[in-house]
Order: sequence, then structure tokens, then C-alpha cells
Amino acid sequence: MIRLQGVTKLYEGGVVAAQDVTLDIAKGEFVFLVGPSGSGKSTLIRLLLREELPTSGDLWVAGKHVNELASWKVPLLRRSVGTVFQDFKLLPSKTVYENVAFALEVIGRPRSVIRQQVPQVLRLVGLSTQADRMPRHLSGGEQQRVSIARAFVNRPLILFADEPTGNLDPGTSVGIMRLLDRINRTGTTVVMATHDHAIVDAMRRRVVELDRGAVVRDESHGGYQMVSPVPDPFEEADGE
Amino acid sequence: MRFQYLFSQTIQSIRRNPLVVASAVVAVLVTLVLVFGAIVVRWSIDQDIGRWDDNVRVIAWLGDDLTIDQVTALQADMQTWPEVEQVVYFSKAQALEEFRELFADQPALIEVVEEDPSVLPASLRIKPVEAGGYEVIQNRVAVIPGVQQVSAAGEEIDALVARSNRMRTFAVGTFIVLGAAALVLIANTIRMAVFARREEIGIMRLVGASNWFIRVPFLLEGLFEGIAGGALAALVVGLGHKPIVQMLSTVTDPNAIAVPVQFLLQQSLLVLAFGAGTGLLGSALGMWGTLRD
Repeated sequence: MIRLQGVTKLYEGGVVAAQDVTLDIAKGEFVFLVGPSGSGKSTLIRLLLREELPTSGDLWVAGKHVNELASWKVPLLRRSVGTVFQDFKLLPSKTVYENVAFALEVIGRPRSVIRQQVPQVLRLVGLSTQADRMPRHLSGGEQQRVSIARAFVNRPLILFADEPTGNLDPGTSVGIMRLLDRINRTGTTVVMATHDHAIVDAMRRRVVELDRGAVVRDESHGGYQMVSPVPDPFEEADGE
Repeated sequence: MRFQYLFSQTIQSIRRNPLVVASAVVAVLVTLVLVFGAIVVRWSIDQDIGRWDDNVRVIAWLGDDLTIDQVTALQADMQTWPEVEQVVYFSKAQALEEFRELFADQPALIEVVEEDPSVLPASLRIKPVEAGGYEVIQNRVAVIPGVQQVSAAGEEIDALVARSNRMRTFAVGTFIVLGAAALVLIANTIRMAVFARREEIGIMRLVGASNWFIRVPFLLEGLFEGIAGGALAALVVGLGHKPIVQMLSTVTDPNAIAVPVQFLLQQSLLVLAFGAGTGLLGSALGMWGTLRD
């Protein structure tokens, strides 16, 4: 479903965001990307979404050769995946329903499909009763559910989540993880970058640890404990 | 549903910044009023110049008693004069044709002539080597037997031709300079619209909206601004050109210089097309650099 082969990404100024990363993720897997800030978790997701191109190496996502994809086909790649971010990225002027429907409207789905799928996915994330509310009237956890609903409403094969619990308290985070787990059990591949020890240790799924852009651990039922050296406290931006 | 969505985006965008949109529309309007106005004024000047086209400066109206052979001999003789560049024979049939064109907007006059087309004389139309050399030719032609009357186009016509050319230069210059300003103003409105919607655009990209789907509302906005400006310009010139044309024309009869409706409509369509083109180009310019993949 996802394959990276010798992927390296160098930024100007010599920063190594990905270093010869080779990785295979099968359909239906749930994979945690862990590692300190700046270890390259977000870069990998951005590369897989073709928000950036690798300096060298190849990526395949859902059967598409990402780094060779013609630019007019990039939207098709993004339709076959869903993405969730730490900061939700909801449109403040649209209701919950409209935020989710927006994702279908802008890829030209007919109204009948939208009317059917949006309520369905809102039920899945447990927000059926909040459909007409504005994002600013929702809690952080509820906002993240809306963003997951938007990412999942088009039934993508893969769901990328970049620190989806980064802004949430532990109790709320558990709810979000249950939701991601439920989505994973429908056969959707989930790749989640996270700092959250408790979640990774509790779920016991495949863990890929990154350090300075390189894969230093790939364990099928891993926990969060680091094999990489304890990061320099001055480089560590967020205390965990 | 798609179209409805795209249109609603455009309308929202225009509502968000009505003043900026208005400034772009006015820029297109002013540009096209000046260009369109110049085209109409030039048309009326060209009507005055009429049969003096193609550097013809002297016309020898021939008597009906001349035979074809005599005319041919006369033409050959004139052709040998040093101050003559070319002599063209203009038959009675051609004269009728020309009359029809010149007085196309006065069917009554044409009817009268068509009853007896022979009233229009044949003529020799003489182009001098130098535009100013017409007087010598005029004097020589006047004494030739068989030539009933001589008409010459003097400085008046030269002035008209110069004025016509100035109008053309004015139209082209206005179109380039003010057109560029209008283009930049439209590009600016589009840039602001893109900025206002940058969050939305980011999410559209994320969920896989096609590039065209993202761009079309902005293209429509530019198109709207261009067409609105063009339509207003066509209206202003269509309704307001008369006094200006009359002021600039040398002909005193206002009916003789009425600009035909067909010409106005035809040019209006052109003005609309230019407005639309400016709008599309302006929005493309506005998206350049802000809406790349």
C-alpha cells in the first residue's frame, strides 16, 4: 500500500529530513511514526502526499509512483488518502456538516452522494447531533473528530495523521485513538506520527522510530521507548 | 452542482471586496470607452475622407460624350506627366457602386440615383507623386477638353487623413497603456481574492480538488470584471458618441454623419471580447505565483 525505497530529503542548509528511508506498509496496517521533534516524521508524510519531492529515492502510495506523478494527477493521489493534522485545519465560517461536505464538493461529488455520506461519517465519529454547530463552539476533541470525518468521508485507502492528539488532553486523546482504531478495522491503512508515549505503549502496534531522518527501529508490536540517544534538551521543542 | 458551486464562490468573492472590484471594472470601462470612442470618431473621419482614399488627390469628371478610346488615350497621356504617379479609370458602374456605399444610410438618395444611374459621371482618379503636387495636376486637367469638372483634395483632406491616423495612434496607445493598468488592477483583485481564501484553498489541495476547480472561480471573477467594464463602455459610447462625432466632423449635416447602428453593434461585440480577454488575462496574471501546484 505504501512503499519507500532509499528516500532521502535534504533541505537547504544541509538539514537531513529523511535519510535513505526504506519502508513497506501493507494494506490495513496501523503504523506509528515516532521520534523526537525534527526527526523527520512530518517530512515523511509530506513526501507521501507529494507536498514535497524527495532529493533521491522513490515512493509509492496506493499504487501511484508519487515522485514520478504528473502534477495534474497529484489531486487524484490526494483523493485516495485522507490527512489529519494537529491543528485540525477546519474552516471557521462553515458548520461541522459544511466542513465535511466541502471535501466532497470540491472534488465534484454529486449532491446525492454528499447527502448520504456526510451524515454517515458524522455518525461514525459520533458528531451526528453537532452537525449544525460552528467549529469554534466545539471542544478540541470534537474539532479533531470533524477533521477525521472530513479526511475519511471519501473512504480513502490510507489515513495519514500528523500528531492528531498533539493539542488534546490524555482523556480526549484516548477517544480519538479509539476512532482511528475503528477506522483501521474497516481495512483503512493508518499512518500516525506522534509524540504520545502512553498511546503508543497502550496500542502495541507497529512502531517505526526515526532519528535525524533515518529509521532506527521498526518493530511490529512496539512501545515508545527510544533506542536513539536521549535528545539534546536544547533541541527538544516540546517537553513530553 | 459543480457550476453552482463555482459561481457561488465567484459571487462571494466579489461581495467581499466590492470597492476593489469596482476599481477594476472602472479601469476597464475607461480604457475601452477611450478606445471605442476613438474607433467611432475615426470611422466618421474616414467617411469624410471617403473617395479620397488611396492617395487619390485629383478627380477629373468626364463628359458623357467621350468615347472609350478617347478616355484611354487621355489616361495614357496623363500617365506620362512627371507629377503623376498613377491614373485610374472609374466607370459609371463603379461610380454608382461608390455612391451606394457613401450614402448607405440615406436610401432615399440612392433610390433617386438608381432611377437614372447615368447621372453619375465616369471619372479619372489621379494620384500625384507627392501629396502636395495636386495643384499643378488640377490646373493641367482643367483645360483638357471633355473634362467637365475637376475636384481636388487639398490640405483639408491631408488634415483629415492626419487626424484619422492620430485617432488610430490614440486608440492603440490608449489600449496599450490603460489596458496594462486595467490588467494590473484586475490581477490585484484576484490576488486579494486568493489571499482571502487561502485557508480554503489549502484544504481544497489537501483533499484533492483539481487545479482547475481551484482556479475557475478566480477566472470567472476576472471575466466578470472585464465583461462588466466592456459592457458599460459599449453603452457609454453607444449612447454618448453623437455630440463628439458632430463636433469633430467637417460635415455640417448631422444626418450624413450618423454612425450606423450595425457598425456600433459590431464594434461593441469587439469591445466586449476585449473586456473578457483583459479579464481572463488579468486573473491569470493574478494567480501567477500565488496558485502554482
